[in-house]
Amino acid sequence: MATAGATADGNNEEERVNSSIKAENDDLKLLRDSVRALPTQPLKDLLSNGVCARCIFRLFSLHEQICSRPSLVTPILSTILREVTEYEGDGVSSSPRETKDLSDLESLREVKEEIKVCSVCLGILQFLYNDDNGTLVKKDSAGDFAGAMEEVVKQEGHQIDSFSLQVSLPQDVVEKEQAVWLYIKEKYSSESWFLEKFPPEGFATKDFLKLSVTNPLETLLGVKSNVSSFRVRLTYTLSDASTRNQHLREKNGFCKRRKTDDSDNFKKDGGFHRVEGHDLTRNSSTDLEDGRVGFLKFPLEKVNQCCSLNFQCYRTSVYVGGRYLKYSRNVSQTRWIIDDERMGEASVEEIVGGNILPMCQGDTYKFHAAGREDIDVRMLGTGRPFLVEIQNARQVPSDVLIKDMENKINSLESKFVKVKNLKVLGNQGWELMREGEAEKQKQYSALVWIPRPLIDDDVQTLASLKDMQILQKTPIRVLHRRSPLEREKTIHWMRIERIAGSSQYFLLHLCTQAGTYIKEFVHGDLGRTHPSIGSILKCRAEILQLDVTDVKMDCFQA
Amino acid sequence: MKELNPNIDTPQNPEIPHQNCAQDFEIEHKQLKEEEQEHEEEELRRLLLPNVEELPDIPPSAVDANFTTFFAPDFMKPGHDQYVHRHANGLCVIGLAPTHVAFKDKGGITSVDFNVGKSDRSGIKVTGKRKKNAQLFESNTALCKVCTSDSSYIVRCCVKGSLLEVNDRLIKQPELLNTMAEREGYIAIMMPKPADWLKAKASLLSLDEYKKLRTEL
Repeated sequence: MATAGATADGNNEEERVNSSIKAENDDLKLLRDSVRALPTQPLKDLLSNGVCARCIFRLFSLHEQICSRPSLVTPILSTILREVTEYEGDGVSSSPRETKDLSDLESLREVKEEIKVCSVCLGILQFLYNDDNGTLVKKDSAGDFAGAMEEVVKQEGHQIDSFSLQVSLPQDVVEKEQAVWLYIKEKYSSESWFLEKFPPEGFATKDFLKLSVTNPLETLLGVKSNVSSFRVRLTYTLSDASTRNQHLREKNGFCKRRKTDDSDNFKKDGGFHRVEGHDLTRNSSTDLEDGRVGFLKFPLEKVNQCCSLNFQCYRTSVYVGGRYLKYSRNVSQTRWIIDDERMGEASVEEIVGGNILPMCQGDTYKFHAAGREDIDVRMLGTGRPFLVEIQNARQVPSDVLIKDMENKINSLESKFVKVKNLKVLGNQGWELMREGEAEKQKQYSALVWIPRPLIDDDVQTLASLKDMQILQKTPIRVLHRRSPLEREKTIHWMRIERIAGSSQYFLLHLCTQAGTYIKEFVHGDLGRTHPSIGSILKCRAEILQLDVTDVKMDCFQA
Repeated sequence: MKELNPNIDTPQNPEIPHQNCAQDFEIEHKQLKEEEQEHEEEELRRLLLPNVEELPDIPPSAVDANFTTFFAPDFMKPGHDQYVHRHANGLCVIGLAPTHVAFKDKGGITSVDFNVGKSDRSGIKVTGKRKKNAQLFESNTALCKVCTSDSSYIVRCCVKGSLLEVNDRLIKQPELLNTMAEREGYIAIMMPKPADWLKAKASLLSLDEYKKLRTEL
């Protein structure tokens, strides 16, 4: 087909177009042949009952052929079906319709045919839905539909290396699927073609949708679909009237609501948002007579409106873990507001979380720590393990970025907080922190005053007490919001460090069981903690300052 | 540092120098780590030590620092002086003020009995965060009876509120009242509602007012 004077490139281009046209024609021919091999009776039956082309192909196991060709437009599929059902002959190719070539079929794309909402899939497989503005949207092919999805994903700006496609359909669709399959089975089971042509199980609508959309989406996004932390979620719903029925069925234990994941409180949506459509389908399952819950009667009622589609793309929570140190006696661990007034100057939560969030380009963050210390207690030494949970991060920070985060926080002017060993973690971060939190020991350094000079015996006495049991009644300072209990705690060891220049002040280093109230152990809490430093030294004891010097946990070490 | 033993038969193989290099690095790395750790520990010690010059000779006690103390002089009867330590969280610790008549008796207080009024106050068990089963008492409800060699005196709530706890250590150690009435010798802990506290506060004296009142005599 070389035209004189054309460049070599031009030749190749033309050849490619021609060969792809030929390939498409071959494909269509194969499809037509497969469809022709189907029995016409049930096809006519289903068509006349308002079942769409893709649902019909689904029922007769042609889903592979359809789904592997995402550019197949709905009009073409409808035409092929119509050909077959109007064709009464014995397979002899005498009809002029047979010679339709691609260009003719292309013209069908332009045809504005009136789309009737499928009575089974409610428009889902026709790529017909209401978007968040209530606008009716129609895509002609799986490819186009995937294209619309891709636009939104690109807009959100996530950096991804994979995605996981999740689809949620209204329970009604599942019931209708079952109803139509049962109908065919019951009506045509005695036919000659039944065993050969009708598959023992219909291919589900949800699976069909996923199968047709996944490949084009992979191509458009340039990444593979697998078990991924980046979720692309299609949620189809009906209008109010029908969702009430859905809840009713859920109560009967019929429908199992799957919990999405830890980002349930995720708020931001992608481009399509949900709006109530005006679906007028009345489900006969609500007035069942014989307790066969969920099985509808075929023929199904006419459907006037399609589903609403809520499209979301988001990343599941990213966890950044590490240890923090708190150098200030006026900074609380978490944001603390009473009557619109902030307690303390700042909070560890805001300093750490507030700096990590923008670097991950996330929506929100949550701060979790392994235990806590009072606002006036410093956290020194090895630091306290913490996790910052970033919701819908647009990018998962690299090692370099993590180091940057660490440096940024540690070079803040205020010098209230430092972080160590910052690292991105998966869900195992949780377990690491929770594991043994209650069993772990903590080490402290307390500045203690007694009303008489310290003597060597005192130092000896405290040094000799190992794994001492104490009983602590709930301290008065927290008694207003805690249960009045008596808790047994262990003081593993104690050591006095004398302070040069003072005979009545000393540093008490001690290691205790998690959950021990140190301040109360020193001053005795009016005798409600016993033994106490005061009772052991046989005098009054007051605590002026407390510092945590070690949180003995294995996680988030260097 | 591992030394090459010249007596070994094995032929000089080119990997050995490399091995030494790796070991050197490991050792250096270890030394660095140890130094770093030492440095951190030094830092920690420095942070922990207070500045001695700034330390007060006598620091405020835990009670002074965390509570505000009020006084109820001559509560219901002359000489029955009681105190109320009120915590910032609203809880009130009730006890005998130092000028209470009981202390004037020879030998001081010899026993304490919580079985007064309709029930034994030491028997109540309050549970749960909401303290639902705590009994609501009026300010003149009796908490306990303190006895001396001469006589006995009723101690009352002073504040209307829920009784959370009585100091049952007083049963076995009544002498706590003689030595440390303001601390370990407290009588009970009450939880008044905010409105009830305001009412009670109106008739209580501050420390200064109480001192003034009692030193005038």
